[in-house]
Amino acid sequence: MSVVSRRILGVLEQAWLPLVLLVLWYFASAASTNPFLPPLSSIWESFVTELQSGRLAVNFGASLNIIVLGLLGGVVVGVVVGVAIGQSRALRAVLNPYLQFARSIPQVALVPIIIGAFGITAVPKIWAIAFACVWPVLLNTVDGIRAIDPGVRDLVQSYRITSSKELFKVVLPAAMPQIMAGVRISLGVAVVIMVVAEIYGSTEGLGYFINYTKGLFQPKATWMGTLLVGLLGYALSAIFLVIEKRALHWYHASAE
Amino acid sequence: MTTPVAASPSGTRADTTLVVRNLGKTYVTGKEEHEIFRGIDLVVERREVVSIVGPSGVGKTTLLRCLAGLLRPTVGEVRVGDTLLTAPVPEMGVVFQDYSRSLLPWMRTVGNVAFPLESKGVKKAERLARAEEALEVVGLGGAGQKYPWQLSGGMQQRAAIARALAYQSEILLMDEPFASVDAQTRFDLEDLVLDLKNRLDISIVLVTHDIDEAVYLADRVVVLSGRPASVVDVVEVDLGHDRDQLTTKSLPEFTEARSRVLRRIRRQ
Repeated sequence: MSVVSRRILGVLEQAWLPLVLLVLWYFASAASTNPFLPPLSSIWESFVTELQSGRLAVNFGASLNIIVLGLLGGVVVGVVVGVAIGQSRALRAVLNPYLQFARSIPQVALVPIIIGAFGITAVPKIWAIAFACVWPVLLNTVDGIRAIDPGVRDLVQSYRITSSKELFKVVLPAAMPQIMAGVRISLGVAVVIMVVAEIYGSTEGLGYFINYTKGLFQPKATWMGTLLVGLLGYALSAIFLVIEKRALHWYHASAE
Repeated sequence: MTTPVAASPSGTRADTTLVVRNLGKTYVTGKEEHEIFRGIDLVVERREVVSIVGPSGVGKTTLLRCLAGLLRPTVGEVRVGDTLLTAPVPEMGVVFQDYSRSLLPWMRTVGNVAFPLESKGVKKAERLARAEEALEVVGLGGAGQKYPWQLSGGMQQRAAIARALAYQSEILLMDEPFASVDAQTRFDLEDLVLDLKNRLDISIVLVTHDIDEAVYLADRVVVLSGRPASVVDVVEVDLGHDRDQLTTKSLPEFTEARSRVLRRIRRQ
């Protein structure tokens, strides 16, 4: 079998179930008169209308903006602080109780406080997303660094590896599988915080669109907004998978 | 690997002697004191191979970590040349027991071998040249672009040895280096060590629990035994430079040295 046809087969293997579900949904909902369960075709029509009006692009763009910036901020802070804590026994001893406390707060619960205090613009939402995304990355970074084999530390010490080389060429690569697992969790968290923050108080974004169309009793548009949130989450995780595969090719290949 | 090389891949010379005086190590856990070894005296002259042999759990690895500067002894001192050892020094390279963990899986083999040279401030072109040369010496020429996990266990340990050679240390410390490879690979690696000893200007300290290996490779075998461990015997091995797995191991001198070491270990 050629490479191309194998690849097509691979895509089909993943795509057949969602396609079947879509078709089922399409026909099962076609005759629906329940306003909260509109026919899939009418949701599609509303998508086309909103796309043409330009409203959709604005809201989608606003959501994409805060989720990407929030995620980036959270990941950077999580890795930097995680490395500091992972590398220092003293810092770990001091901060561990607070970390355990911070991780146990459901981050969604902080959205009203953050937005109440800082307003309904994009920046407080970025903060809320970043704050929520810090924890999985931070805690995984700490775990990843602590799991580094003592033999690797011996190697670093006996060959007098400088601390910057140790950090960038030993510690970070060694912890990377765990860090990436943390980022993957944060990705899901970010979508939730984004939607909740936009529903709670916003003038734009997919969450706002969902909430706004619900208020106007336009269930088709609300459905479409919800589907788009799912699609956004899916697209982000697909992009993340590509990045992860590149960063960890040695990890996946050595496990085979 | 029969062509002799005039100097080591490095051009280093083992002018440095390793001197150990009255070395002792005691671990304290809570109120309990755990004395691992005491009163160890040892001199490794230039170009010498010294085996440290003893039963499992006797503290050989702890001793080697003290020699490498990875662990502070409780009493006594280790000197490398004129300097008192307080931390690892560039004159010594370590080959660890667990090669699979000591080679970094995110770097290619040549990268692993060249990596310590970065911290030494060696320029990139020279780093790679030295690494390739060291790989060639251990019989891994052409495997540099592979990742360590694509190599067999024996090849991985060869790569770890190449890393120590590229580092241009004068003294090679080896901690049970062949404990986790199969018998045939073990013989090949032992012969590699003999080959390095004869071709390069380096001293080797080898920790092992395998008495045959200790005798076969060494100019001197230091026997550790007891609890806490101490040196119970030092056996000079007079087998010459050209040794061979078949003929050397059937020589009466070999058998005699082997029996003496075994008796010393068992007596305690």
